[in-house]
Amino acid sequence: MSEAGADREKLDQTPNQAADQAADQSSGGDLQSLASSITAMASPFRNYLNDLHEKYRSVDEGTVADYIPELAEANPGWFGICVVTTDGQLFDVGDCDQLFTIQSMSKALTYGMALEDHGREYVNSKVSNEPTGEAFNSIVLDEETNRPYNPMVNAGAIATTDLIKGKDGTARLKRMLSMFERYTGRSHDICMPVFLSEKSSGFRNRAIAYLMLNFGMVSDRIDETLDLYFQQCSILVNAKDIAMISATLANGGVNPATQVRALDEHYVQDVISVMLSCGMYDASGDWAYRVGIPAKSGVGGGILATVPGKLGIGTFSPPLDVKGNSVRGIKVCEDLSKDFGLHLFNVASPEHNLQDWLSGNTDIDHW
Amino acid sequence: MPKVISIHSYRGGTGKSNFTANIAATIALQGKRVGVVDTDVPSQGIHNLFCLEPEQTTHTLNSYLWGEISIEEAAYDVSRNIGLSDDAGGRLYLVPSSVKADSIARILRDGYDVRLMNDGFRKLVKSLQLDYLFIDTHPGLSKETFLSIAISHVLILILRPDKQDYQGTAVTMDVAKQLKVRKLLLAINKVYGQLNPDALKQKVEETYGEKVAGVFPLSEEVVQLASEGVFCVRYPEHPISQTFRQVAAQIDQG
Repeated sequence: MSEAGADREKLDQTPNQAADQAADQSSGGDLQSLASSITAMASPFRNYLNDLHEKYRSVDEGTVADYIPELAEANPGWFGICVVTTDGQLFDVGDCDQLFTIQSMSKALTYGMALEDHGREYVNSKVSNEPTGEAFNSIVLDEETNRPYNPMVNAGAIATTDLIKGKDGTARLKRMLSMFERYTGRSHDICMPVFLSEKSSGFRNRAIAYLMLNFGMVSDRIDETLDLYFQQCSILVNAKDIAMISATLANGGVNPATQVRALDEHYVQDVISVMLSCGMYDASGDWAYRVGIPAKSGVGGGILATVPGKLGIGTFSPPLDVKGNSVRGIKVCEDLSKDFGLHLFNVASPEHNLQDWLSGNTDIDHW
Repeated sequence: MPKVISIHSYRGGTGKSNFTANIAATIALQGKRVGVVDTDVPSQGIHNLFCLEPEQTTHTLNSYLWGEISIEEAAYDVSRNIGLSDDAGGRLYLVPSSVKADSIARILRDGYDVRLMNDGFRKLVKSLQLDYLFIDTHPGLSKETFLSIAISHVLILILRPDKQDYQGTAVTMDVAKQLKVRKLLLAINKVYGQLNPDALKQKVEETYGEKVAGVFPLSEEVVQLASEGVFCVRYPEHPISQTFRQVAAQIDQG
């Protein structure tokens, strides 16, 4: 103990002055932002996600997509869960930095861009909004109107990609990439091996495109549009990006972290409602009934699920069920929907109150 | 409901590890299941107090943070070392940090995912069915400290009666408020003879608006025993041991 002889009176003055001096130097921004990220790390909600991750990590059902060799290389054990709230809080557990190709999840975003480029009436004249009940790659068009059934199956997605404006393939791709950047808040690369593989083996998609050309539903720049379609499917993302995209949709089209608008507010409802009716391939009806969260899956193993006004979910786990949806991702969405009452039409009190669990309300014993 | 308690001080040398060992032992001797995690990775040392030799500790917090083992594997039952018989209800487990310079260097160089701490603590509480988990922290403020404050039910700040500690404690309390700490207790340690403990307690409580759970003298007896045993196990009737029991009671209040 230094200066043990310091006199009493002097010492008695010290706590007050010292504490005041320290308080003067404390200020808002940085401390608040670090504190909020730490609170998210320790929040009951993150612990809940952690338990979910633990619960479903050992599930070994499903198979990794293998229609092109690049997808078959994915590790079936990869498993990440990320949730972003509409006020920008991020919770992630597991493999949330692992990159994978966005695949069909891109279809929802491209649809939104086509709407911005041409308006609802014109886009509706090219693509219908009916669930198909058929597989995602089926070669089927509406018999009366020759329109593809909806923008979430390959035929409809190729038709919406055709609508993306730009003077050439490069310009259209650049527009699309900057749209993705507005949604996620960071720039994205395209996985070249996946793109080239899809391009060289995508005979079925080529056939669909030519069938639509035959009916005048797409323009004749078929090769350029198919390239763009394969490129949009080969964009590299991670579970955090997916959750951020979902949260942006949930937040009315504005990225909750960057506050940048990614989608015209008039078309947010178009994108989300098509996700609800058609987003989970031919399991969509059952999904809407049981889970009730508008979602879009991709064969890379991702699921993006949007709870309007509340939060966005992004899951990543490559093994897929027979309908092409991530097995673990489905289970995670089911549990979240049930435990927090996130079904769009749920009115019953859920087991857990979302706001309490997000904010770390002290009444919750998550230990 | 299990309780998580972080023991922290803004500066080093406040007697934090000694305090942690004594309060944890006091509660274990009352028949509770208690865990202690030494998260002071750069300057660990609490294992000495529980007579756990580095040669015995092949598994440490470090190995858990590197994903080599589960956290339970790094938990050592040190109940016997504080005189608890095997059939006593109380248990004391310690998760030590590595004393190897290489392991410390690796943690400092590569860092680790702070969230693993949170996940590990929860796992430990569940699998060892702990009633109390004490987190012995590294002095000062860091991501690790922030996290342990955020997850704690009770934060105990240890300070000595000097200007630097007063200032540092105020800073830490600012942080604790931002992290929405649920309960905060102050403990004043190394109070030398000329100071009136009651007056000091009152003054500190007025200044910070928080409760002082205990005032501990600068004690030669404690110093003599330091680093080779837990004081309140050896001298249960000593006034210092009684003060530890008072602090233990206050952890449970409210």
